[in-house]
Amino acid sequence: MSEVNNGISRRSVLKGAAIGGAGLVAGGSLLAGCGKKKVTGDVHYTIRGNLSDAGAKINIAVNDAYTKKTGNKVISQAVNSDDFQNNFVQIMQGTPDDAFGWMAGWRTNARADSGLLADVSDQVKALGSSLSAAAIQGATNPADGKQYIIPTTYYPWGLHYRKSTMTELGLNPENIATWDDLIKLCEATKKKGLVGYALGDKGGWEAMGTFDILNMRLNGYQFHYDLLNGKEKWTDAKVVDVFTHMGQLIPYMNKNVLDISWDGMRDLLLQKKCGAMMMGSWFANDFKAKSQEDYDDLWIVPFPEINPEHGVDSIDAPLDGISVAANGKNVEGGKDLAQFWGSKEGIDAAVAAGDTSIYISSDFDTSGYDAFNKQKLAVLGAAKNIGFFLDRDTRGDFAGPVVGPAIQSFLKNPKDLTKILESTQAQWDALPAL
Amino acid sequence: MKTAAVNKIVRSRRSLSRNDRFTLSAFVGIPTLLQIIFLWFPTLITVVLSFTYWNGVNVSDIKWAGLANYKNIFLGSPVFYDALKNNVVWLLWFTFIATPLGILLAYQFDRKIKGHQIYETIFYMPVVLSLAIIGIIWNFMLQPGGFVQGVMGRDIGNAVSIWGNYSINSYVIMAVASWRHIGYIMLLYLAGLKAFDSSLREASAIDGATEWQTFRKIIFPTMRPVNVIILVITIIDSLRAFDLVYIIYGTSTAWPLLNILAFQNFAGQGISMKGAAYSVIALVLCVVPILIYLRNVFKEDLQ
Repeated sequence: MSEVNNGISRRSVLKGAAIGGAGLVAGGSLLAGCGKKKVTGDVHYTIRGNLSDAGAKINIAVNDAYTKKTGNKVISQAVNSDDFQNNFVQIMQGTPDDAFGWMAGWRTNARADSGLLADVSDQVKALGSSLSAAAIQGATNPADGKQYIIPTTYYPWGLHYRKSTMTELGLNPENIATWDDLIKLCEATKKKGLVGYALGDKGGWEAMGTFDILNMRLNGYQFHYDLLNGKEKWTDAKVVDVFTHMGQLIPYMNKNVLDISWDGMRDLLLQKKCGAMMMGSWFANDFKAKSQEDYDDLWIVPFPEINPEHGVDSIDAPLDGISVAANGKNVEGGKDLAQFWGSKEGIDAAVAAGDTSIYISSDFDTSGYDAFNKQKLAVLGAAKNIGFFLDRDTRGDFAGPVVGPAIQSFLKNPKDLTKILESTQAQWDALPAL
Repeated sequence: MKTAAVNKIVRSRRSLSRNDRFTLSAFVGIPTLLQIIFLWFPTLITVVLSFTYWNGVNVSDIKWAGLANYKNIFLGSPVFYDALKNNVVWLLWFTFIATPLGILLAYQFDRKIKGHQIYETIFYMPVVLSLAIIGIIWNFMLQPGGFVQGVMGRDIGNAVSIWGNYSINSYVIMAVASWRHIGYIMLLYLAGLKAFDSSLREASAIDGATEWQTFRKIIFPTMRPVNVIILVITIIDSLRAFDLVYIIYGTSTAWPLLNILAFQNFAGQGISMKGAAYSVIALVLCVVPILIYLRNVFKEDLQ
């Protein structure tokens, strides 16, 4: 879509000139950057979240390490993560910070196509073999084959539980190999007065994780991906099957699914109120922040096999990283900081600050991983196909406004399924061509 | 060729001193200009954009869509009718329950019942809070893990479902919104009643009218200008409802309203001009009562 020339989107430069020359300055420094010049100047960085969060402290620690190494000051500001995501396009067209944590997939690629994100292909190249081919592939925009995000961490979506709870119940969750095993586990937890399958969907996206994995287990990754990209129909019997399975889990769910969000789910597990919970394991940082004991008690296993044809060959493992705003004041500085985040020094600084994320870089020594992280790697390793999560695998004007309410409607009234799926398909058909 | 009428106008304009004219143009011109720039211009653009496909970034990507966005909303989006239903419920609740309650309170307090200042203060207090703050307060009270749940001894696992329980959540939201609306209406009506000529009330008492007859036949009709304002405020507040629900549910459309849908489609990851179309629908619904109100006001002025 955007004509790219020497890594500068012509459109963004023109727009920059219109705004007041800021873009031209950025473009100039971009050209200078080709000559391996030392990058200088203050870099502005957006932390998604509250300054008091465990994640913000990790961000600041890495940025401090960058300042220590290069002498370039990093000015960090914390912005509410939801606000940042909701207003992303407006922020990027105004006076954005140079670099920020972002998400690979549709959310990066569509914004790159619009000329809002800076091309970081050179930085990805500079990180070299520390990034696996799969990681680079995941961060590549299919429209032009360039990268607009430095991939740093990823995390698996899997069944989480507390070892102590399982021991008390006399269950061995390592043995949940089939759908029947999962139902048995839910049944046993429910009998003990706990929530069998914890779910919250107040935010409208949490239950997408359950939908994704059921679809991939039942119908395979290719069907799932095609469905999200309009090549399969939502009215297909295969999709009905997915919701039928989700419906079988409803009796074991907490009775307040639409009252709680992801943090409510986390608290259910943290307070030992539930058996299994399908969730991305990023929340483990909060367990560690609570106490090492809670963290050590946490465990993750792959969602069980349902259809032997597909086994456990797929997983949602969203890839996160650092992106650079095309309209930032110091684009080169932003790119340099982003590269630092992907480098060994950056990762070391994050881990020293207590980060439990899995870094994608091979520079990171996995022998230092704790047991939970090793298990996360094992869960990831079990899968051949990696999805990025529904709201990053499909169009933004479809995931949030259409699929989110559709799943909520189903959780509210499972009997309306046929109507819900017909409407979902009709709304996909009504979307404008990209 | 100057007619007499034109001459007359010119003369009457001349009677304004230079200072007057400057003041007048400053006081009328500047607000009008600001209004045009910050209100009418964006409104017009929104209306035009509602007939297009666009992702909100490059102007060159705007594509004409005709009525597609509206067709999509009216025929393809069940959530639109949920939102419309919620807006209508809001409107009916405010018109027939919250507003009359506010008027009743104002009427009682105006009669200086014992301790009316204390009651007034209690009912007036929520009015100083914005609906967003009220949302934060009640969400904190009622959500799983919240204060009220804690008092009831419910933890997050067995918390009473309130926001996600569709047989009660509408009433709870209405009650929370009324918490502020009742005080607001009470205040407006009380101000009107303070200006009410008490000799009218005495006269009706002498004629043997009951309390209810006095209110219905004398006070309510005399308060007509205040009634119109209250009615318009009630209608507009119901249709522009957003912040309270946004604080509780976020952009997820678990309890949709027209403005939440507009926001979800405008902001967020998937910017589409369906959001503009939702805004235009909400605008049209709001403009009708405003027009009725303005016509009423102008008619009175002419009389």
